[in-house]
Amino acid sequence: MIECPSCGRKHRPGTLFCSECGVYLPTGGPLRTEPLPDEELPASRANPWVSEQVEEERAAPAPLHLKVLATERQIRLPSAAEVHVGRLDAAHGIFPDLDLTADGGLEGGVSRRHCKIHQRGATYLVEDVGSANGTFLNGQRLTPYLPHVLKDEDELQLGTIKLQVVLQEE
Amino acid sequence: MSIDIEQDYYDILGVSQSATDEEIRSAYRALARRYHPDSRTENAPTTLFHEVQAAYAVLSDSQQRRAYDRQRAKAGLGEKAVLFWDIRLSQSQLCSRHEEQMLYLLMEVRPAAAIQGERLPLNLCLVIDRSTSMQGARLDNVKGAAHQIIDELRDDDMLAVVTFNDRAEVVLPSRSSIDRARAKAQVSTVWASGGTEILKGIQAGLSEIERNHSERVTSHLILLTDGQTYGDEKECVAEARQAGARRIGITAMGIGEDWNDVLLDEVAAQSGGTSAYIASPAQVRTLLQKRVRGLGTVFAQGLTLKPRFTEGVWMESAFCVLPYLDRLKSEGGVISLGTLQADAPLTAVLEVGVAKRSPGEHRLMQLELTADVQSLGRVGEMLRRDVSVTFTPEETSPETVEPAILSALTKITVYRMQERAWDSLDDGNVEEASRQLEMIATRLFDLGESRLARAAMLEAGRIAKGGAPTDKGRKELKYGTRGLTIASRRRSHD
Repeated sequence: MIECPSCGRKHRPGTLFCSECGVYLPTGGPLRTEPLPDEELPASRANPWVSEQVEEERAAPAPLHLKVLATERQIRLPSAAEVHVGRLDAAHGIFPDLDLTADGGLEGGVSRRHCKIHQRGATYLVEDVGSANGTFLNGQRLTPYLPHVLKDEDELQLGTIKLQVVLQEE
Repeated sequence: MSIDIEQDYYDILGVSQSATDEEIRSAYRALARRYHPDSRTENAPTTLFHEVQAAYAVLSDSQQRRAYDRQRAKAGLGEKAVLFWDIRLSQSQLCSRHEEQMLYLLMEVRPAAAIQGERLPLNLCLVIDRSTSMQGARLDNVKGAAHQIIDELRDDDMLAVVTFNDRAEVVLPSRSSIDRARAKAQVSTVWASGGTEILKGIQAGLSEIERNHSERVTSHLILLTDGQTYGDEKECVAEARQAGARRIGITAMGIGEDWNDVLLDEVAAQSGGTSAYIASPAQVRTLLQKRVRGLGTVFAQGLTLKPRFTEGVWMESAFCVLPYLDRLKSEGGVISLGTLQADAPLTAVLEVGVAKRSPGEHRLMQLELTADVQSLGRVGEMLRRDVSVTFTPEETSPETVEPAILSALTKITVYRMQERAWDSLDDGNVEEASRQLEMIATRLFDLGESRLARAAMLEAGRIAKGGAPTDKGRKELKYGTRGLTIASRRRSHD
């Protein structure tokens, strides 16, 4: 039997939510992102995107892959208009399209809602959505809620988790 | 590129007929790389490469793909399935050490890709409560909503309007190509007085629907009421059951706080329809419009699920999650899933208990899905799936559960907590009920549903002080937790 970390009620193995208090049993409740000390994060700021930078092509862009540098995990981004990146937290009903929990997201300071990536013409844009520890592009901090262009081989950093942008036809 | 219907392009690419464009693209890329004449990885004949290219040329073009599907279906080739049926489990492996454990199964049903049914004409009847309590804003809004429906109906749709108080009256007999201006004028003459006898309304409404009921129409009764009926509840449910058996659905809409939610839920469930809570009369129009538009896209009716469990496997509960959250009841081993709309997938979650098994692969159940796809003229469509899992001798590291399963279970969990709180209260266990309501409030706050959370807090406080819960709070929580949109993007970022 497994015990609910919140109310102590016992459940059969495999149960996902406590029937008594509604807590998500595998993690035992909300997982807050702890703010990281400033010295662990780059200080300079990136210039946000201005509309001229975008080639207004109708064609769909090449598929975007993100490679987690520490774990070598390569992820193909779902082809949705808007892809949310963060950390899954079932207790709060947060289900990002790209979940970085398995890549050390919690310890690495990744917010549950960290950033989103969307397409504009043939270009990908990344936008920080007010994360606790910030999103960085090639070592420069992004201004929250302002889109920035993603290019092949760019280094994207969420908290302290580093990802490499791979943008090329297969 | 010409289409060769003798060739199974789906098979060549190794995808199913319901594959998405994305799946087709990636299957093609993988095969093209393998079979490309310049590739060193495989010594395949170049004809294979050409076949793959030909298949991709047709399937990657939506127009050509539709034409290909159509021609093949006509020729009796290709997959027969018109329904897409996806089944996912919370775990693919179970540990054989546990005496008993839980497994969740999420199933999604929707029309198979590239299949478009024809729109079935609607055969609707609006059954409107015109008792004294409906006077004013309630009846005015209902009339306004009826006018809107009259305007939106297509010429081949059929509509009837019945009003009831202590007796029923047919305001507009069921017929197609109605004279819209006259029908609206007729509806406008309805005025409020008298009591509420729901059975009379349902009976009169059903007999109007029967006049034009056939397999080739979507027959539906929409009941709008704000009050309680006395003494005829059992007959109402019996009528609804009979209607359901004849494929006539009932949507029951309760306005305000004084109506009997247990009765309307039961009437809706028995007929394969739904019930809704209309807190303020101004919502009548949008809710009714949404419902009627949804009915216009019905793709299949009479969906039923028959799970056959192997020994040591049992069903703890079943819930429909989309399009509406509702508890599903198994009657004689058969679960009725109602209708499937072309624009809204149907998802359901089965909570399954599994007893100890030896290591190895074991079949847990066979699921059988049946449906009448009238929009394609296909009755008695049947699909079967086996569900198996591997039992491992030792505990393995936990698998990542799919977000779709988690978000469905999040909703179901809150809904069930609310059910349990009212059960405790009905059993006279006041302290327990109040404590449970507080816990629901905590969960709802966590989920960002602060309005519902406050309603739960208020009811918890009221009960703790020895008072009775308000009808408003009770309905708000019941129907509010049913309508939770978990994927809603709120602004809480850490």
